[in-house]
Amino acid sequence: MQQSVIVWPGWVAGGLIGVYLALQYWLSGKALGCSSGYGNLCGIFSRARYFHSGEYAELNNWRLWFSLGLPLGGLLGYVTSHGALPAPSFDMGALYESVLPQSLWFRAAYLVLGGVLIGLGARLAGGCQSGHSINGMAQLNPPSLLASAGFFVGGIVAVQALFGVWG
Amino acid sequence: MKYLFLPLGAVFGFLLSRAGATTYDYYAELFLFRDLQLMWVIGAAVLVGAPLLVMLKRARARSLFDGAPIQFQPKPMKRGLLPGSLMLGVGWGLSAACPGTVLAMLGEGKLGALCTVTGIILGTWLYGLAQDRKQAARTRSAEAARLDFAP
Repeated sequence: MQQSVIVWPGWVAGGLIGVYLALQYWLSGKALGCSSGYGNLCGIFSRARYFHSGEYAELNNWRLWFSLGLPLGGLLGYVTSHGALPAPSFDMGALYESVLPQSLWFRAAYLVLGGVLIGLGARLAGGCQSGHSINGMAQLNPPSLLASAGFFVGGIVAVQALFGVWG
Repeated sequence: MKYLFLPLGAVFGFLLSRAGATTYDYYAELFLFRDLQLMWVIGAAVLVGAPLLVMLKRARARSLFDGAPIQFQPKPMKRGLLPGSLMLGVGWGLSAACPGTVLAMLGEGKLGALCTVTGIILGTWLYGLAQDRKQAARTRSAEAARLDFAP
């Protein structure tokens, strides 16, 4: 296993994420969720009405700042692991490196395609892993249970195909 | 209050990093059933979060930031939910990232995350364009129905 940062046992980090979920609700009354924030970013360059009405009527809102905070958290995770700033790298870890072609162009196109599936899928499903699988499942919300099952099935199919075909 | 979400996002991003959710390998390990680290993370988050949320609900807790009653609005069932969740799942497995973790990966200097983020923005944008078209079609048919009805 190739780790570039300190990783805690799953139940420790997961338990703290559960505490964070409740803490964010208690502090702000806002539900944990990550994927809607990408609509705030779309509103910056797109004139589509969808990104300027409803929940996006005000683009400079908490979701935007939450999205900006996440990279800071990653940076903090790295710096507290190494005592140094991260050196930017395209490395994807031993497993993915073992099946993906080395070409940078292929790599970029592959990840953009994966991202499109994530972005479009999250909006169709009305949320992502944090909104459905953590926040939704913690409230035993049936649509969130179904969505979480869908996420896992999709992930299993994709990775089994990737490592079965190329690996 | 929105600025307080900068440190809150940093806390969540830090926890995702410590959880292994910013480490590519854990995604492949999970879906190949070799190392279930990320499943324990989600499982523990749900097990710990559920009773805490029940407590907040029972106590009719108010937001500490603005004093407003906390609204727990479960996400609704919608038509695109199943195909959308499968699509997101496929992207999750291929790119070893989800919308939250990929932003924390950026902070760790993982350049692949830049491409994935670009893709997620594109995918979200496509959904917005489709919603606009759907809305326009709805307005047109409503307009047509109104004209039809006129004497």
